[in-house]
Amino acid sequence: MSVKAFELVPAVERDLLMGDKARINIECIECCGKRLYVGTNDCFIHHFLLDEVTSSKGKLSYSAQKKLQKYLGLKKPVAELRAASALERLIVLCDGILFLVDMETLETVPSAAGGGAKIRGVTAFCINENPVNVDPFCVEMGILSSKRRTVQIYMVYEDRVQLVKEVTTPEQPCALSVDGYFLCLALATQYMILNYSTGAFQDLFPYNSEERRPIVKRISREEFLLAAPGGLGMFANAEGVSQRAPVNWSESVIGAAVCFPYVVALDESFITIHSMLDQQLKQTLSFRDGHILQDFEGKVILASTKAVYVLVPLPLERQIQDLLASHRVEEALTLTEGAQKNIPKDKFQILHKRILQQAGFIHFGQLQFLEAKELFRKGQLDVRELISLYPLLLPASSSFTRCHPPLHEFADLNHLAQGDQEKVLRCKKFLISYLGEVRSTEVANGCKEDVDTALLKLYAEQDHDSLLDLLASDNFCQLADSVPWLEKYHKYFALGLLYHCNGQDSAALQLWIQVVDGDLQDSTRSDLYEYIVDFLCSCSNVDLVWKYANWALQKDPNIGIHIFTKRPISKYQPHLKADDVITYLGKHGNALLLYLEHLVLERRLQKEKFHTHLAVLYLERVLLLLTESPTDEEKLTKAREKLQAMLRESNLYRVQFLLGKMENCEQLLLERATVLGKLEEHDKALHILVHELKDFASAEAFCIWASSCRESSYRQQLFHLLLGVYLDGNLPGNSQTAGGGGNGDLKMAAVDLLNRHGEVFDAARVLRMLPGDWSLQLLRPFLGRAVRASMHACRTSQIALGLAHSENLQLLHDRLKERKKPIFVSEKKGCHLCHNTFSEPDVVSLPGGIPVHTHCVAQRVKDSPTKRQLTNSSNHT
Amino acid sequence: MPEVSKMKKPDVKVVLLGDMNVGKTSLLHRYTERKFKDTISTVGGAFFLKQWGPYNISIWDTAGREQFHGLGSMYCRGAAAVILTYDVTNWQSLAELEERFLSLTDTANHDCIYAVVGNKADLTDPKAHLSQDLDGVSQDQTECEEDRTEPQVLSACPTPPASPASLSGMILHKQVTHEDALALYGRILRYKGLEEKSSLPAEKMCFETSAKTGYNVDTLFETLFDLVLPSILRKRNENQESPTVDLEECRVASGKRTKSTCC
Ligand SMILES: Nc1nc2c(ncn2[C@@H]2O[C@H](COP(=O)(O)OP(=O)(O)O)[C@@H](O)[C@H]2O)c(=O)[nH]1
Ligand SMILES: [Mg+2]
Repeated sequence: MSVKAFELVPAVERDLLMGDKARINIECIECCGKRLYVGTNDCFIHHFLLDEVTSSKGKLSYSAQKKLQKYLGLKKPVAELRAASALERLIVLCDGILFLVDMETLETVPSAAGGGAKIRGVTAFCINENPVNVDPFCVEMGILSSKRRTVQIYMVYEDRVQLVKEVTTPEQPCALSVDGYFLCLALATQYMILNYSTGAFQDLFPYNSEERRPIVKRISREEFLLAAPGGLGMFANAEGVSQRAPVNWSESVIGAAVCFPYVVALDESFITIHSMLDQQLKQTLSFRDGHILQDFEGKVILASTKAVYVLVPLPLERQIQDLLASHRVEEALTLTEGAQKNIPKDKFQILHKRILQQAGFIHFGQLQFLEAKELFRKGQLDVRELISLYPLLLPASSSFTRCHPPLHEFADLNHLAQGDQEKVLRCKKFLISYLGEVRSTEVANGCKEDVDTALLKLYAEQDHDSLLDLLASDNFCQLADSVPWLEKYHKYFALGLLYHCNGQDSAALQLWIQVVDGDLQDSTRSDLYEYIVDFLCSCSNVDLVWKYANWALQKDPNIGIHIFTKRPISKYQPHLKADDVITYLGKHGNALLLYLEHLVLERRLQKEKFHTHLAVLYLERVLLLLTESPTDEEKLTKAREKLQAMLRESNLYRVQFLLGKMENCEQLLLERATVLGKLEEHDKALHILVHELKDFASAEAFCIWASSCRESSYRQQLFHLLLGVYLDGNLPGNSQTAGGGGNGDLKMAAVDLLNRHGEVFDAARVLRMLPGDWSLQLLRPFLGRAVRASMHACRTSQIALGLAHSENLQLLHDRLKERKKPIFVSEKKGCHLCHNTFSEPDVVSLPGGIPVHTHCVAQRVKDSPTKRQLTNSSNHT
Repeated sequence: MPEVSKMKKPDVKVVLLGDMNVGKTSLLHRYTERKFKDTISTVGGAFFLKQWGPYNISIWDTAGREQFHGLGSMYCRGAAAVILTYDVTNWQSLAELEERFLSLTDTANHDCIYAVVGNKADLTDPKAHLSQDLDGVSQDQTECEEDRTEPQVLSACPTPPASPASLSGMILHKQVTHEDALALYGRILRYKGLEEKSSLPAEKMCFETSAKTGYNVDTLFETLFDLVLPSILRKRNENQESPTVDLEECRVASGKRTKSTCC
């Protein structure tokens, strides 16, 4: 398939040129602005004015108007014409003679110095379009002459020509082109570049100019296009390097030109058009009797032997659109990008983006999503263009309309997929991944609602896991538009999340409750009930909590109560007052108990009210269980354990109140004992335990419990009390009250107590209490321990004493060491107290080592009213 | 005439030379497109621009056909590296390198580096079937399976099948040994008048590759790119000491001279 890059438009028709004269042929042409010159084989120059006419449909045509024709009088064909428009001269080559004619009148210019404006023996010439000379009223020209192996450089003035340089070539040149100092020459067997200023030359490549007509065409600064062996069009720069890959012409190219990005070439029957960007042949136009192809100021003009045509390039955009229309994405992009430098920057950017987007949609249409995505990204596609392909995805409120002209040919996804559901599905999967990727990038800026809503709909429809992630994170999903979709796909849980995102927690809760209650079906979460509880637990709207907690508590108080017990305590959350909660929970007994347990046991709130309430609830439950018959022993045990623990451990409940409540219940003796313990009515308590319950282990445990956190003498006192209770009951007088056979038990209990907790007792006191008839053997462990303990205590205190003594000595020793410096006494030194000199060595040293008379000190001590004690360390020197 | 847009100007040029059918185009393809596909005989030449770090490297694929031989010197002009390619199953293709292609490199840079590359190693060397390239591997596997379905499984005898019927998967005779390539490399250095000691060692510059499996292809190109980096840096420096300014000055000067002669 090919591109339509050019159109061949007739410029000068045969009739206008030669009428019915059959033997007249076009030999050469020149075009300069509107002026078109045609040289013919009968030695005429025809001058036309060429006007561009654009029809109402935008179609271009040319209208030529003949201005003049002039016979040159040489009877030979006009070989070449070149305009030097700045000089108003046409340079004419005819019959090997080069001369100047006036561009308007076509009159031969008479030479200023007589005959100097003619050059003879010329085979070819060319104009330097990039001259080094800066004089605007002079044209530089290279000439090949038939006789010599030289190239001559001439300056052409208005009325004369002047030879400025002549360089010899290794072989006879037959075609030339010039740019700056660089001549590009076709010699008989090769091409070469010749620097006419330095004379340096550079071989290009071999070419047999006799076999095939050479082409040497300057295409840009210091770059030439050459016909190469094998029908190639080769590029070469002035350094002799090829910077572009060659294009593949036919073997018999007559003329070639570059009209970016294309290389246009003419052979006998075709015009071929290759892209310089990818070397590919893009278009072929049939053209019979082709004779001339030349470009003039960017305009490519062709001539057959009889008529002249203009090869009009189609607008770039049109070519690109043609390529896209035939799905030739790569080529379209290459062409666009290749034209970058020929289009103003801002215009190019718009064009380029659009082409990228269109190209992306072409790949998309072929389900080549990877490529499509990359092109969408590069082309900064408005994602809504893509979303809008999917029916109903854009929210009704979206202001989006597709760009015009459209970026693609698809009405919608169904049109694209032609009913192939598998295709539709793949497109949807792609959109899911694409939107997922772009939603948090700048691509989604300005249309976040549309993107997120579309994504939500796709997720819901495709039962995609990420639906919940989307709703759980910051999102811009449109509520009104999403509700019906989520309902349609039974995504009630998700819908609740969406309500929540939109601040409609109440709606969310109602919906979820319906799901839990089985009124609506959505299996997203099997633990939806727990979820609701969690939700209420952290819900900042207190009213909602009050409203829906009831439902949750009824469902399962053990979990429902988490609403209150697990509620995070933070300054951002409105606080629920415990008293309010307790009031609220009044009708949910079980839950209330759980809540109070939470307050008292977990949060350890030190409030009498809660403690008493909890204790009472425990008690009431026990009482309730007791009334049941048959009693559930297991339950009862558990309930009692809780009650007992509470009674034991809490110090805050109203003891009397509880005592009153359990007074009438004979089953709760243990509890009563505990409460009495709280009241420090230990003898009553122990009495109950020992005499009524006969639970000696509990009695012992009671003593330990009741004296925990107290000094040891308190515990001793309790143990003595217990011992007393045991022993009292053991008295013969009391044997009746203790019931049958109880005496022995109490005795054993007393013995056990002593033997087990001997260390607590004051052994001496115990011995005094014990009845005289008890055998020593019975109390042996107790006594043994008591003797050993007192022994131990005695020895320990002796050791302590000894240690203290030695420590004292040690300190004394250290102190002396510090003060060891001698104290000098002499006859010359005076006593500090009496100021007399010393006559004997016996002195007393005052603190600081000051010697004084012994008698002075004695005197002073006597005199001192406070009878102060002197530090009595005396040193005798 | 509108200025013909210049393409991204390459910093350095690498040229693939060698007889037709040795696999130059396939090597370039494999390297640039990561696959092995059918090629048509290269017309004239083609090139590929490779971004290598901050540099643009142009890799020229030339036509091995005699017809285009004359263009070779031009392609090699200013080359920083030349890859002389032969086909390991074809002795003549190695001989051609010396006879026809070596002289084309006269126009290359004076510090141009040369690599001698024996392509189609997959045909002679089982080791060349192992490639980093995934497509290559999968392609190979399918071929191995084809072989196994050939009806010669009767004996466990390891002799290769005698019939050339299954050329594709068969081990062909290796006509050019690695030693031959090393020797050629030595002769290239001699031709260039380079000291063996101060040049890159033959062991480093002789490769055996397979465009088909991808074996050694990346190694080849990347080794070369790394080696031409100094050449790029040198070229950049030269350009910074901007010759354009000199040229401009020289032009103006000589322009004046011509003027003075004409008056
Ligand atoms: N088995 C095999 N065949 C190859 C390899 N490289 C190229 N060929 C084949 O050899 C032929 C010529 O390859 P081509 O790349 O056109 O060679 P060029 O003329 O040097 O460019 C083609 O049929 C390729 O399929 C290779 O590494 N292994
Ligand atoms: Mg090739």
